[in-house]
Formats: sequence, C-alpha cells, structure tokens
Amino acid sequence: MEDTGTVVAFWILATVTVGSALMTAAVRNLIHAVVFLIVSFVGVAGLYITLSADFVAVTQVLIYAGAISVLLLFAIVLTPRGSRDNAESFLRMPALVLALLTGATLGYVALDTEWSIAGRDGFEETASAIGEALLDRYVLPFEIASVLLLMAMLGAIVIVRPEGANEEGAE
Amino acid sequence: MRLDAKWYDLRDIGNAVGALLEQINDCGAPDWVPYVVSSLIGVVGILLWTVLSVLAFIWIERRVVGLMQNRIGPNRVGPFGLLQPVADAIKLLLKEAITTRNSDKVLFWLAPIVVFIPTLVIFAAIPFGEKMVLADLNVGVLFLIAIGSINTIAVFMAGWSSNNKYAMLGAMRTIAMLISYEIVQVLVLLGAVLFVGSMRLGDIVAWQDDYNTWLLFMQPLGLLGYVIAGAVEMNRSPMDIAEAESEIVAGYHTEYGGIKFGFFYQAEYLAGFGIAAIIVSLYMGGWTLWGLEDWVPGWLIFLAKMYGVFFIYIWFRGTLPRLRIDQLMGFAWKFLLPLALVNVLVTGGEVLLWQEAGLSAGEALPLFGVVNIALAGALVVGWAIALGHRSRERVAHRAILTNELGAIYYGEASPRL
Amino acid sequence: MTLKTEPFVVNVGPQHPSTHGVFRLRLTLDGERILDADMVMGYLHRSMEKLAEERTYTQNIPFTDRTDYLSAMTGNLAYVMAVEQLCGIEVPARALWLRTIMAELQRLASHCMAIGIFANDCGAWQTPVMHMMRDREKILDLFEMACGARLTLNYMRIGGVSRDIPPEFMPATRKFVREFPKKIAEYEDLLLENEIIVARSRGVGVLTADQAIAHSVSGPMLRGSGVAWDIRKADPYAAYGKVDFDIAVGTNGDVYDRFVVRIAEMHQSIRILEQALDMIPEGPVHAQLPTATVQPIGQPVAPLALRPPVGEAYGRIESPRGEIGYYIVSDGSPAPFRFHIRSPSYINLTPLKLMTVGATVADAIVILGSVDIVVGEIDR
Repeated sequence: MEDTGTVVAFWILATVTVGSALMTAAVRNLIHAVVFLIVSFVGVAGLYITLSADFVAVTQVLIYAGAISVLLLFAIVLTPRGSRDNAESFLRMPALVLALLTGATLGYVALDTEWSIAGRDGFEETASAIGEALLDRYVLPFEIASVLLLMAMLGAIVIVRPEGANEEGAE
Repeated sequence: MRLDAKWYDLRDIGNAVGALLEQINDCGAPDWVPYVVSSLIGVVGILLWTVLSVLAFIWIERRVVGLMQNRIGPNRVGPFGLLQPVADAIKLLLKEAITTRNSDKVLFWLAPIVVFIPTLVIFAAIPFGEKMVLADLNVGVLFLIAIGSINTIAVFMAGWSSNNKYAMLGAMRTIAMLISYEIVQVLVLLGAVLFVGSMRLGDIVAWQDDYNTWLLFMQPLGLLGYVIAGAVEMNRSPMDIAEAESEIVAGYHTEYGGIKFGFFYQAEYLAGFGIAAIIVSLYMGGWTLWGLEDWVPGWLIFLAKMYGVFFIYIWFRGTLPRLRIDQLMGFAWKFLLPLALVNVLVTGGEVLLWQEAGLSAGEALPLFGVVNIALAGALVVGWAIALGHRSRERVAHRAILTNELGAIYYGEASPRL
Repeated sequence: MTLKTEPFVVNVGPQHPSTHGVFRLRLTLDGERILDADMVMGYLHRSMEKLAEERTYTQNIPFTDRTDYLSAMTGNLAYVMAVEQLCGIEVPARALWLRTIMAELQRLASHCMAIGIFANDCGAWQTPVMHMMRDREKILDLFEMACGARLTLNYMRIGGVSRDIPPEFMPATRKFVREFPKKIAEYEDLLLENEIIVARSRGVGVLTADQAIAHSVSGPMLRGSGVAWDIRKADPYAAYGKVDFDIAVGTNGDVYDRFVVRIAEMHQSIRILEQALDMIPEGPVHAQLPTATVQPIGQPVAPLALRPPVGEAYGRIESPRGEIGYYIVSDGSPAPFRFHIRSPSYINLTPLKLMTVGATVADAIVILGSVDIVVGEIDR
C-alpha cells in the first residue's frame, strides 16, 4: 500500500463502498436500496483487487452482484406493495443507538490492535492456490458446503412444485 | 513470439505502445505515468474500434439478412445504403428520449448505462494480439463470466423502472433465461480451462498455438454449449424472447426511445462482438492461425475470425424461429447442463490421463480430439432421443389425403415425412 | 406453501404487430399462464351489411372484395352464386371453369400469406414471409392480367365473370403451375421439419373433432382437427364436380396440423389448376340476364337493374379460411332486403378461449395465427 495509485484507489473505493452501504439503509425505495447494495458489492470487489486477490474479487462480482442481488430483487418483487417502503418504523432510535455502539466498538478495536505485516508475499496465482487448498486441506468443508447447496436446491424445488406455478428464475 | 519488437512492426500494435512507454520512462516521468498512458491508449482504442464496428455491422446485418430474405437491404441512404448507420445514429440522437410519468426516473435513466458498460468492459480482457491486451488478468475467463452476469441486474432495472406490464414480463423472462444459461456457460468454459490449466486468456491462446490445435476440436460439446449460451446472453434470435417483437412488443425496452434505446441497441451489438471474441479466443485460436501471424498482423486475423463468428449469429437470426421461454429453459436445464457436466468429467479424465501416463502431445491430442468429437455426437443424439425428441408427439408429419366426406380422423396416426 | 399472486390483465392489441389487423384480445394472466381470453371485436366495422341494402346487386360486388380482402375472389364468388341461385340464372361453362381457376389461384395466394405469417408469429423474423410474398406476387401478377386489380378484384359478375382472360394469361398460368411445386417444396424443407416450429406448434391449441363440430368451425381448422369436410366436395359448385382432388386432413387438431393441412391444400390446388387449365372450354363468359320489368310508355328510359324474385338464397363456398356464405333476402327491388355474410373467421374464432386457456402468452399468439383471421371479415 505504498504507491500513490493504490492509496488513491483505496480511498475512492472505500468512500463508494461505505457511502452506498449507508444509502442502502437510508433510502426509502427498496429497489433503490438494492441498487445501492449492488454498488457497495462492486466496491468491495474493487477493494479485493487492491489486495491482489483477483479470484475473490471476480467471484464477488459474479456471485454477489450477479446472483444474490437478483435473489434480493425477486424477494422484493414478491413482497406485497404495502411493505415496499423502507419507511419510518418505531425502531429507528434503538437501531441508530445500536449501530453507533457497534461502530464505536469496532473502531476502537481496529485502532487499538497492533496490526502486523504479513510474513509472506501475496500469491502469484490465487486461483490455483485456492483450488488446491479447497481440495487438499479444506476438502471436508468444501464437500459439506456443496451438500448444503444441494439440499437448498432440492428444498426450493419441493416448495415450488405442488401448485405447478411457473416460478420465474427457479434455481 | 517471433515478432521483431520494433515500434513500426504493425503485426502487433503493442510494439509501438511499448516503444512510446519506454520513451516516457526515459524522459524521467513519475512511475504512474506509463500505466495511465497505456490504459488511456487501450481504452480509446477499444472505444473507437467498437463504435466503428457497431456502425459497420448495422449496415452489414441488414444487408445480409435482407439477402437471406430475398430482398435488398437498405440502399437509399448513400451509395449502397452505406450511410444508413449514420442516419440511424443521427435519428436516435435527435429523437426525444421520453421518460414516462410514473416511471422510476433514476433507474430509468441509469438502466441503459448499466446495460452498456459491461459490454465494453469485456473487451478489456481479450487478447487482440500478443501485446495487445488491455488487462491481462490471471482470472480472465472468470472475469468475462462475471461481467456478463451484471447484465441481469441491468435488464431488471430497465424492466422495472418502465412501470409497464409488458416490460416487466419481458424483464422477468430475460432474467430467468440469463440465470439458467449462466450456469451452462460456467461449466462449458470450465472444460476449456481444464485442458489449458490456466484461466488467463493469453495462456489459452498460447496453448492453442503451441500445440497447433484449436480447442474446438478438443471441446466440441463446449463449443456447442457456448454458442447457444452466448446467443442467449446476447438476447439475439433464436433466443430474442426478451424483445420478441411479435409477442410482447419490445419487452424490457418497450418504453425507451431516442438515445436511451440507442444504448440498448449498441449494447446488443457489443455483447455480440464480445461473445464472438470470447469464442474466437477460447476455441478458435485467438489471434494465431498456424503460423500465418508471422506475415499478417495478429489483430487482423483476430478481427476476421471474430466477424466470421458474428456472421454465423446473423445467419441464425435470419433463419431460425424463436423458442418459447419454458422450452428454452427446459433446454438449458435438461439438455445442456447434463451434457456440460459430462464434458467436464470426460475432459478432467483426459487431462489426468495425459499427465499420468506421460503421453506426448502428438499422440494424446489427436486421440482426445477424435474421442471427444465422437462422444459429442453420440451424446447429443442419444440424449435427445432419451428426452423424447424423436417420439411420436414431437415429430413432423404430413396431412392425410382422403376422399371420404364426413369421415373423422381425429386421434389417428399421421403419415411420417 | 402457496404464494399469494394476483392475476393481471394484459391487452394484446388493437395495436400490436401480431394480431393480424385491429383485433383486441384481453388475456388474464397468472405469470405466464392464461386464465381467460376475452375477444373484443369491431374495430374495423364498416357496416357493410347495412350499406349493401342501399345499393343494387351489382353495385354490391365490390363490397364482397373488401370483407375478406386477402381472398377477394372467393368472397365475390359466394355472393354471385347466392344471387344466381335466387334468380335461377345459369352460368356458361367457360365462366364456371374460369371461376374455378381464379378461386384456386386465390387459395394459393391466401395460404402463402397464412403460412408466412404463421412462421412470423413463431418468431422467424420475416424470412418465410418474404419468400411467400415473392411467390404471392406472381399470383397477383396473374390477377392483374385477368382483371386489372391485385387485391380487391371485383372479377365475378352475376351470371359469369366480368371479362374473358387475355391471351397471355394461359401460358403465364401454365408456367406458374409448373414452377410453383418447387417453391412449395422449398417451404416444406424450411418449415415442416424445423425443430423449433414443431416444438412451438405441436400440442398447442388443440381442438378436438367434437369441439370443432360443436362450434361450427370450418376450413383448415376443421380439417386440422380430423374432420374430412370440404364444401367443394359436399356441395360442388363452379366446376369442382368435374375435377379430381383429395381433402387434406390432420389428426391432432393442433396448430401444427392446421399448418400441415394448408400446405397439403396448396398441393391439391395445383392439381386442380392443372386439370382446369386443360379442361376449360371456349364460349361466352357471361350469361344473358333476364331484363327488368316492363318500361312504362311515355316515361324516360329507366336503367335496367336486376330485380330478383321475392325469396331468399344462401350461397356458400369453401374460402381459404372456411365456409363463407352469403344469405340474401330479396323483396323484388333492385337492392337486397337483407344481406348477411357468414364469415368463416368470425365463427372460427369462437373456440379461441377454449384453445388458449392454460397456454402461455407466446402460445396465444401462435394459436391466433393458426386460425388465420382477416379482421375485415370479422367486423364487416
């Protein structure tokens, strides 16, 4: 993080990410909130790139901005119209207090810790490193995760099936 | 490669850019200037080239489709109608870009831009020549898929913000289609990456050049799957359900006019070029042509191949009718996805065999190629029959010719063709 | 777990690239499935039936062109047959054969259009339409040779046809009849076995034979559902009793079968044309009509107008869309008392709801295309 380019990029990306995350919570229209969320996802992907984690960055865009946001949008579309407003609720004050407390805790921890420099350089080929790790050291969690995904897909099919409705985008 | 690396060596424009950057370095500029300059040159170059290509192809497509339909295409504006794209562009610019009253104004304005940007960004990762890549990413293939997946959001934004039932219907159909075919895309490209062992597009092209073979001979199922999935990504016929003119008027861009529609239009062509470029890089050897690139500039070969692949898509559009949305999705999930999985399995097995058994490239690759092609043919035909494509209910037939007045033939068997 | 969804109403038309004219279909959709289909007609109503009551019988012949403007010859023919039945006029032989030739040429032109538009509805971006138009142009050239018009022909007259064919008509028609089967073979190659067209149209819009008969459907729709009924055989008119041809019948009652039946009918039309071109006799092309009533002495000469005897007649023929019939009631005056058109498109549309409920929106368009409507006929 020495040269000017990375620093400038970091600050721009950080502003975009945090700013759009704040707007997600603040804006009234739910669809706009999801769009801001997508912007913050892409910002996070950019931050990954400044850390030279290219595989993770691209996967972040592919999964989060490409698939999960579609899921969120569908969830919003299927909500009845009345609750499609990110409107005032009586929980605003407690939520604000809680958010400030969490932010303060995290900030204090972040500033107080002695961060050490990583002992090794970045990977040359992150994709192959991740791949080898997934199939070598972390093969059990990998298999469990795929079984979990399979269960989720089967569950979705079972939920949708009996009425024969044409659920668009059924995964 | 065997290039001279002189700055006037046109066979790779990267040489000229490299010489310029060296000059800048020699002048003692700060470190970041060469990066900025090279990115700027790349960006401007891609922008200019894409805009010119789109203009040219508007004319080419209309003339070619016109010839297929036994008519002359545009021939009024300029000699042979060559100024037709210019006329189209001027018309789109001058038209009033209406924003309907009840639409979501910000999203309505934003959607064409979000549709257009990914199609441009794809070209950043594609190698036009050995030193002509704007961003030679280590995860190039995955990057291309990720950029394509942003299309889904943009389409939804366009459909939703129009506040129009037809547009919403079109957007929903499109998203369902795009998600289904994204999975097929990933699995199919995985096969190609397995053979090469790297996701860098430059490496894939170099592999095809080193082993003197095109990956399409090794991965026929992959090519088939990717051509179809690519057509779906482009929203082109035979999968132009999203803008099915004869059904829901114009789908998710019904409400768009003027330059906003111009963005959608251009994005469609650019996506087409992008998919064609990916097919050429991954399956058809990129900018190499078995040694011809020593004389002819690599980027010219690349462009020629890319335009050739795009011509095939134009051919599809002029010839084939359109599938229904549920048939299209059934095709993706029930037909292409199992084939893609089998492809990954077989490819993985072959790569393992190649490494473990220590075969040389000369014996292994032709064997794999023949096996893959035969397997592809057998699987496609066999799986189609297994899914019932040749059953009595799905097969073409003729009418019965009779002279008995008043007879009822309902429910009987029809004569086969 | 059921999701609470609301069906919504989508308006297909009246301005729509695919409704074959100004026709409105209100579909109640649940997602993509159609729950209800409601037709709203009348956008092209020109009150022809009432206007015809003010004009003489001969002046009404151009009206019959404009009801079914895509097959004007058959419209003309049904009307003049009704009036001839009413008056008891006998048409000379040459006129009968000429009528047969023209009706079959018209059937070819109309089916060309129907098949092209059907492929267009399936999504084949105008390519089949352009090929069909190219061949339809040749037929329209023949019509222009014979009567001077291409679309609204006004060729038939009460008692025959308006004029004899010019000498260049026969060689041109023979040439056309020789070359057209190759074109039909081209369409069959491109369309009959096309996987996508078969997938789009088989099993879609099924109408069983009983339902078809119950709804008095006629034409290729009826024959597509398996009922072998053709008015050219059941109630032969013009010269159809003397030529040899078959009825094309489908077996499944779906959209694909109607398409296949139309192609087979085109083959049969060529067969009829070949025989007619050889068997046509020489002779007059128009009968001597009974003159009007006695001219009063000492008064200006009144123009002769056809005054049929009091009574009613129903003239029906097989148009490319089905049975077209004209019901004329005469009260002895030069203008008809009642002029009613039994239009095939209108009757064929009645089972549309039956066919489309449960299908998707894309199917509804294809089904509407297969009924082959002409809105001029529906609304009159």
